[in-house]
Amino acid sequence: MNSAVVPLSRKTEVSATVRDAIARLQMQYVHAIDNDEIERWPQFFTEKCVYQIIPRVEYDQGRLIGVWFCDNRGMLEDRVSALREVNIYEPHVYRHIVGPTEVVEHSDGAYRTQTSYMVVRTMSDGAMSVFSAGRYVDEVMVEGDAARFRKRIVVTDSARYDTLVVIPL
Amino acid sequence: MTQAVTARAIPELLTWPIEGITRVPMHVFSDPELYAWEQDLIFRGPTWSFLCLEVEIPEPGEFITTYVGDSPIIVVRRKDGLISALVNRCVHKGSIICHQPKGKRTRTHNFVCPYHNWIYDFDGNLTSIAFEKGIQQKGGMTADFDKTGHKLTRLNVETINGLVFGTFSDETPALRDYLGPVMVEHIERTLHGKPKILGRYSQMMHNNWKLYIENSRDNYHPSLLHAFFSTFKLNRLSAEGGTRQDDRSWHHITFTKRYTDKGDEAYDSGMIRAQKEDYGLKDPSLIDQWMEFADQITNSIQSIFPGFVLQQVMNSLGTRQIITHGPEKCELVWTLIGLEEDTEEQTYVRLKQSNLVGPAGLVSMEDGAIGGFVQKGIKGDLDKRAILEMGGQGVGGMPTRATETSVRGFWKVYRELMDV
Repeated sequence: MNSAVVPLSRKTEVSATVRDAIARLQMQYVHAIDNDEIERWPQFFTEKCVYQIIPRVEYDQGRLIGVWFCDNRGMLEDRVSALREVNIYEPHVYRHIVGPTEVVEHSDGAYRTQTSYMVVRTMSDGAMSVFSAGRYVDEVMVEGDAARFRKRIVVTDSARYDTLVVIPL
Repeated sequence: MTQAVTARAIPELLTWPIEGITRVPMHVFSDPELYAWEQDLIFRGPTWSFLCLEVEIPEPGEFITTYVGDSPIIVVRRKDGLISALVNRCVHKGSIICHQPKGKRTRTHNFVCPYHNWIYDFDGNLTSIAFEKGIQQKGGMTADFDKTGHKLTRLNVETINGLVFGTFSDETPALRDYLGPVMVEHIERTLHGKPKILGRYSQMMHNNWKLYIENSRDNYHPSLLHAFFSTFKLNRLSAEGGTRQDDRSWHHITFTKRYTDKGDEAYDSGMIRAQKEDYGLKDPSLIDQWMEFADQITNSIQSIFPGFVLQQVMNSLGTRQIITHGPEKCELVWTLIGLEEDTEEQTYVRLKQSNLVGPAGLVSMEDGAIGGFVQKGIKGDLDKRAILEMGGQGVGGMPTRATETSVRGFWKVYRELMDV
């Protein structure tokens, strides 16, 4: 079990401004990916950041490596140019369905949150499938009414990935 | 023969082209009857299949479950420290005995089938049957039923540098003889310390398993299909590379020495820091590496027949295991490896370079799609043949990567084992 799981009685008080900022970040993040505005994706992160995709079973046992790991915004931008210009794959799009965000803790300058998600992938020939489901385990920095991810760990329920993962989850 | 019970004889299914191994009939990638024969003659034949790493089951009673081709397998550490591999199928009704991916049976040292509680020891012997004598003298097994006549199918097991292999056949040569000295030397060189698992995931591919194995032995395609290195100017044309095989051309190594043109700097064992101005990457720290190997090889892919790959992509070490899922699908299980001896900094380099491999690998992701492209392309033309003439018509190692010699090697072995 990981540290983001807390007893039911626990409640983290968050101001309306902060709650709105976090909700907006979550919303804009998935819309940027799903609506093919992937160039906006790195902007949702702080300059020094962590973005990782890792299977749940690996995350739970504290293993280090998943399928994707970036530790700064430059790496996120390199991923964007690679998927636009370099990597070869059949065109496809995602549609994220994201659950409400639970603010678990406010510590070390960041809001620690978790959010369930599901991604349906639609291929260019129309074939649709549930591509991924799981949860985001995040650390969000809020300045004024703007929020960014300092850390986003995409914990995928399945350790099996279909074909390839070129678009971020 | 167990899987091909309902399949027609191979000569009715497949006639190899007279050109030999430079031509491959397309229907070998989709025919369900040939697929059944492959299960018998290749995966259950005189070949070694990767099962797991020793470090996954260090203690007596610890087990993992996996597959050899379609066959479910339990791999367990016995009390005497040796490793057993058993077919995970109860002799009673055929149920999977062990449904957990891994676990530990320490107290009783046995496996209990969940359906009717038939119990097996770690050697696969049937030691107990629930209600064997009936209840209150009623029912029970027939008096002459002999438990010793019913065992789990047991594989022979051998290990090399922490890798565990199994074979169904008593005809299979000893593992090191099967691999040959060139392959053994390269495994010992790549796993030069005590391996530990840094991560594991799998990739489902929509293609016949042989299309992936061909791909792993095809060193003609990487600079063409995988544009990452060339686009970001990480390719150096002067880099040395080549292809090695064992004497029988069963197995394959492709390698490159990226820094052979960089002078002395690369010859020390310190970190090679990528310079921003040299590359198109916003963050070239992705490809910071240390010269891990004295042979100066920065990339090597070693493919062991039938379904195992040992990779070194810069400092990203790992194993890949093919699992069959019918004639038109297969799964590749990736295990990313570090060494117990690694420093924290070296572990972090392995973590960053994990971005190059796997289903999201900047270099390797296309391999997950390209087999599916072939599978789609051949659908209406199963009478056609693939052409394999890059680098000549034969097999054997070559001092170049512009060759399909090891793909031809695969088909040479395939024809031998399938007798076609």
